[in-house]
Amino acid sequence: MSTPAVSPEFFKPSPFTNRLVYVIAIGSVVVVGPFLLWPALGVKLFGSNDYLPHVFCYLRRPALVWTHVAADSLIGLAYLAISVTLVYLVYKARRDIPFHWIFLAFGLFIIACGGTHFMEVVTIWKPVYVFSAAVKIFTALVSLMTAVVLPFNVPTILTLARRAKASEQVTATLRASEERKEALLREVHHRVKNNLAVICSLFYLQSMHTKDEETVQIFRDMENRVHSMALVHESLYRSENLARIDFAEYAQALAKDILASHGSPGPSAQLKSDLEPIVMGADLAVPCGLILNELISNAFKHGFPGSAGGEIRLTLRRGTDGKYSLFVEDSGVGIPADLDVNQSKSLGLRLVRSLTQQIRGSFDFVKTDSGTSARLQFTVNDHER
Amino acid sequence: MIMNVEVSSPPPRALIVEDETLIAEELKERLSRLGFSVIAAVDTADEGIAIATREHPDLVLMDIRLRGKKDGVQAAKEIRARVDVPIVYLTAHSDRLTVERAKVTDYDGFLLKPFQRHELQMTIEVAMKRRAIRAKKKNEQ
Repeated sequence: MSTPAVSPEFFKPSPFTNRLVYVIAIGSVVVVGPFLLWPALGVKLFGSNDYLPHVFCYLRRPALVWTHVAADSLIGLAYLAISVTLVYLVYKARRDIPFHWIFLAFGLFIIACGGTHFMEVVTIWKPVYVFSAAVKIFTALVSLMTAVVLPFNVPTILTLARRAKASEQVTATLRASEERKEALLREVHHRVKNNLAVICSLFYLQSMHTKDEETVQIFRDMENRVHSMALVHESLYRSENLARIDFAEYAQALAKDILASHGSPGPSAQLKSDLEPIVMGADLAVPCGLILNELISNAFKHGFPGSAGGEIRLTLRRGTDGKYSLFVEDSGVGIPADLDVNQSKSLGLRLVRSLTQQIRGSFDFVKTDSGTSARLQFTVNDHER
Repeated sequence: MIMNVEVSSPPPRALIVEDETLIAEELKERLSRLGFSVIAAVDTADEGIAIATREHPDLVLMDIRLRGKKDGVQAAKEIRARVDVPIVYLTAHSDRLTVERAKVTDYDGFLLKPFQRHELQMTIEVAMKRRAIRAKKKNEQ
């Protein structure tokens, strides 16, 4: 049978445990020491005769005796519970609670008070009045010590209270400022989105004034590009922190939009996506979105000539090296054998090349058995997440 | 033309309430291609309410942020109280609060700007269908 490994840190004493050991040691010496030095102390303290105080003090009435016993026991138990809670509180929050020794002093004071109540119960049947007096003296000393020390700390406690109040006000001011900033950012995203919508309108209106199909297509492509950017701002506007978006969610929405915009009349394609969640800022999301727009549009335009439909697969994976790979694969006719991605004069590929360079990524096209696979690789820096 | 409009019947009439004039222009163009006759394109809620109440259009395209004190949600609420007309919101606002406010007006469509060509067509078709179902139910009662 193997023994579970225990970290060496487990055995390393903390400053708190060190102090606790000292307190226990000193306490033990204080309590046990007098008995060792003066063996007759035990007899003095606990010595008693057959005197039964309740016969006299409680008028021989059992009901009165038990009322006192119950009340004193409950008070003693409550004091004990309060002390345990205080000690636990100090132990758990010893780094955060200022003056934690005051809490301990209160704990000691309360437990001593509890002790006097317990002694009230004991002395009903066992007249150990000397020991009861010792407990009372101890309680008196602890109470006096706490009572004397506490007033000296009042100014510091008041300062702390004022600082806490001021800190609350600063927090409220910061929260209000944060809310204003959030509203302002939301407004900025809204306006950017609205302006992009106006640009889309301009492209559309202009495209309506030409009969040349190629020119109309150019405006349509431009509209889609602007739309892919607007979708980033839409995602930012809806995101919680207004600064980063879930790119997987965005890519899915963009791909659906592009497919719908290339819908009838024309080839129909099924979209399949398998995207790992990834959060990124607008600086990275906008170029990635534009690249994705080009790749999906390209797959549509050139992958399925005629009315032949097919499938477009979108995959986003994080590699072991931390790099993300975004694949756009189609089941179409495949890229021409002589296509050189780095030399191609097509605007779409030029945009992909430039934007890939901007995000310090890499891009390649591979002809596969089932069609074409375009792969974009990029890194998301920690500060962009 | 996508609307099922009989040759003899007049084209369905649409009202545009939009404060961006260029977007309003695009909407006019798109609606006329979809077989609508645009009766007006206005940029305030009050004008929209007045024209909708007077003209009883077959469709209202409503922006949420408008010129003037009232916004599109308030305008839609008032129009709905007076005329049974399909209302399609067309806005760049997509935050939860705006959508929740808009829900109260029982709208027939919600489009986010900038919208894609196919989205407007589909949303209007659904809105018109909803209105037809609503009218049929009302007649049956």
